[in-house]
Amino acid sequence: MNDRNALKQGVIQKIFSSILKSIKSIGYGIYRSLVRFVLGVKKRFVRFGKRFMDASAVTKVSHFVMGFGQLARKQFVKGFIYLFIQLGFFFILFTSPTVNGTPIGLDALRNFITLGTVEGDVFTPTDNSMLMMLFGVVTLGLIGMFIAGYLSNINSSYHNDLLIRDGKKVLSFKEDLAELLDSRFHMTMLTPAILGIVVFTILPTVFMILIAFTNFDAQHPAGQVLFDWVGFENFKNVFSGQGEVSVRFIPVLSWTLVWAFFATFSNYIAGILLALLINKKTIKLKKLWRTVFILTIAIPQFLSLLAVRSILSEYGPVNNLLMTVGLIDNPISFLGTATNPMTARASVLFINLWVGIPYTMLMTSGILMNIPTDLYEAAQIDGATKRQAFISITIPYIVFVTTPYLITSFVGNITSFNIIFLLTGGGPAVGGGYKAGSTDLLVTWLYKLTIDENEYNMGSVIGIFTFLITATGTLLSYRKSKAYKEEEAFQ
Amino acid sequence: MNKKILFLILVLASVFVLVGCKKDAPLTIWVGTESVEFYEGVIEDYLAAYETANGEAFPHEILVKGADTGSAAATFLEDTEAGPDIFTVAHDNLGKLIAGSSSIAPVTDADLLAQIENDNPDSFKEVIKGVVGGQTYTFGVPYIAQSLVLYYNKEFITTEQVQTWEGILAAAEAANKQALSLTGTDGFNNSFLLLATNAETGQSSLKLYYGGDINNNFASGDDTVSVMKWGQRFFTHENGPKRPTDSGWQIELKDEISLSVISGAWHYNAASAALGSKLGIVKLPTFTITEADAYGSVTAGTVFQSGTFADTKMFVMKKGSKYQEFLQDIVKYLSSKDVQEASYEEVQNLPAYKNAAVEFESMTGNTLEAQLASAQIEMFEHGIPQPFGFDNRFNFYYYSKGAPDLILEILENKSGTETGLFTSFDQIKAQLLIIENIWKTGNKE
Repeated sequence: MNDRNALKQGVIQKIFSSILKSIKSIGYGIYRSLVRFVLGVKKRFVRFGKRFMDASAVTKVSHFVMGFGQLARKQFVKGFIYLFIQLGFFFILFTSPTVNGTPIGLDALRNFITLGTVEGDVFTPTDNSMLMMLFGVVTLGLIGMFIAGYLSNINSSYHNDLLIRDGKKVLSFKEDLAELLDSRFHMTMLTPAILGIVVFTILPTVFMILIAFTNFDAQHPAGQVLFDWVGFENFKNVFSGQGEVSVRFIPVLSWTLVWAFFATFSNYIAGILLALLINKKTIKLKKLWRTVFILTIAIPQFLSLLAVRSILSEYGPVNNLLMTVGLIDNPISFLGTATNPMTARASVLFINLWVGIPYTMLMTSGILMNIPTDLYEAAQIDGATKRQAFISITIPYIVFVTTPYLITSFVGNITSFNIIFLLTGGGPAVGGGYKAGSTDLLVTWLYKLTIDENEYNMGSVIGIFTFLITATGTLLSYRKSKAYKEEEAFQ
Repeated sequence: MNKKILFLILVLASVFVLVGCKKDAPLTIWVGTESVEFYEGVIEDYLAAYETANGEAFPHEILVKGADTGSAAATFLEDTEAGPDIFTVAHDNLGKLIAGSSSIAPVTDADLLAQIENDNPDSFKEVIKGVVGGQTYTFGVPYIAQSLVLYYNKEFITTEQVQTWEGILAAAEAANKQALSLTGTDGFNNSFLLLATNAETGQSSLKLYYGGDINNNFASGDDTVSVMKWGQRFFTHENGPKRPTDSGWQIELKDEISLSVISGAWHYNAASAALGSKLGIVKLPTFTITEADAYGSVTAGTVFQSGTFADTKMFVMKKGSKYQEFLQDIVKYLSSKDVQEASYEEVQNLPAYKNAAVEFESMTGNTLEAQLASAQIEMFEHGIPQPFGFDNRFNFYYYSKGAPDLILEILENKSGTETGLFTSFDQIKAQLLIIENIWKTGNKE
């Protein structure tokens, strides 16, 4: 008994020390990144200063009038483009043109801090705090892009200095363009992609994160009532407030993790078993069986889910069949209106198997067909039984190859919206009138909070927590996996 | 691929995106999805009338689009700039639309204000107004009325039985069916009990944001407690109401699992499709308090009439619309008496016009549509407009802060998180006090 307790304690200690180690390693990683960043900035400043001192007079002027260096060397198109960038940027910055009544530019930076001051009346609009925050972020993005353009202008002019010093010819616009289609083609193709990422991914993400630090909710509709910065208040409310979020956060988070675990591993294991079964030598018509399972992938998932929902409904075919054969007297609610939340939870996990297994089966089939046969032959020569070969070769091989898939699948299941939303709508409801039902995941709850309740700030907080959980889980598990540590092992 | 071709594709894609960025939006009107075609025709008539009156064509394009009127206000508020210039909402959405400095414009045109004053019942005239900056304005123009009625299966329930819930329950018991299917569990669906009034006096002690005051709520009177107790017996009866299921109330009605459903005109087509010639439509039934339900001053034998929210849908106008100068004239036309009558004839929209039942010939026939109109008009006598338009918080607190679930806990006698089972009057009253508090503060405490 004491031995068992000691063993248990040892395992717990090991887990804790592993978590502490991971946290320590993350902390150290962040510290190292910060130091590297500061040193990098310092280095760039030093280089910038040195380059300024070393540069020709026209390049020195380019530090103040963009494009001057190029224009002075008769690179008119390039020079005017840089000049246009500078004039355009200064125009936007200092004149602060308005879009939908809200300025972009210097005023936007001011508004970014205040989030609006004018409370309008029934005929005149109130400052739109949301647009002000958005345009503040956009202006910061514009400043970032301007700095990139500014540095590119200096680099280009300094590059010309070096060419002239070496007695070489400065490139014409045509030659520059030709270079963009040749040796610098990567830049031509990457620039729109990077701009797209900045505009459509980074800026909206920053904007969404910032909402978590405001009181933008149903009581503060944008354009009607001003909202303001509230610091970490919303984060505090998750754990200490009186509202739904503080009461339901832990239960919803727990179910999300339980769901993600079971949804991932049940699919994974069942998919592997199915693949092994289909790949068995004695099984005939292998291709047919694979095709049958692939067909379920070909049907849009939401259609499958809605069909299953109808099939399992109280007066659907399953209940009718069960009642007809006399197995039940009254229909059973399997999903959102189930009387027992566990029924609904088990049902969604079961249905998830149906939509998820074919993916694992397909992938594992491919892996099984690609395991080098010489491994098995060598094992056979060494006297290994089929079971030993399966445990020592097949399973490690599958696990090694599919670990990244397993991790992404786990993360995907944490944010699995369709299955829960379409099957149960988060229900059955829990007592006390909370919006978050028994099968709600963090994402479906987030949807309800934002779309139904307009609690954008709390939705953003939950979004951040979801991100932290998924990002941390992914990084830790991936770094600890053999697929990461022994990358070369199976090559 | 050739780099030049790739580059060209890139340039073309950029041009395509930039060209698609800006296009001048037409004057846009959102109406209920079921009425789009009708109002497209109305707008054509308006444009012709405008040209006749002004000697020139209307200077802008007008686009009529369908929208879910239940969520139109929320959708509009998500991005008011991109929202329609005129749209239709249920009047109880007014609070969220006029919160702070308001996102919709008040009616200022004297003719339109006179039309509103002359054509609408007093109860509607109150709920289309709102206070912004200490000043009261009229924001909405009523054009559709709606109240709850009972759709039932005539094959199982006689015209006598359908007058009372007890009769319906007896019919359900005899046929071993469910008496009623609920279409949802929200605050609208329990209103037939919560808003029930004494059939003799027409009174109820219930106060819901009375006078537009957030603190003027009362749900713990003897009559409400008695009604809830009666409701509990009804809901927990083996053949009582059926909670919403994944199958949906239409299937339950069609498959004769349940015999009736409480709903409004918006579900008429679905009810008609489910029951066909077996469909009957009447005003909501009465119920009688028994010894088991009587509490405090309420005596056994007291008859209660099921209540309803008697609402109006109204047109509202976007504040700061670039077509501001034209909007009131268009709304005046869309909500005119003639268009309301045509709307009833063509798409069965019950008019908000106060004398419709008498003046509109089409409402006096014996068709199902006429029965629907007549049942709704009868229910107006036993209903109140949802009083949630006065303040942004009212609708939110009433529907979204858990009060409907707490009412359902009483009715289903399910163990609540605060009070346990609701077997005694005191437990019911305690839960009703919590509900009152939610209405006042949004919180249970």
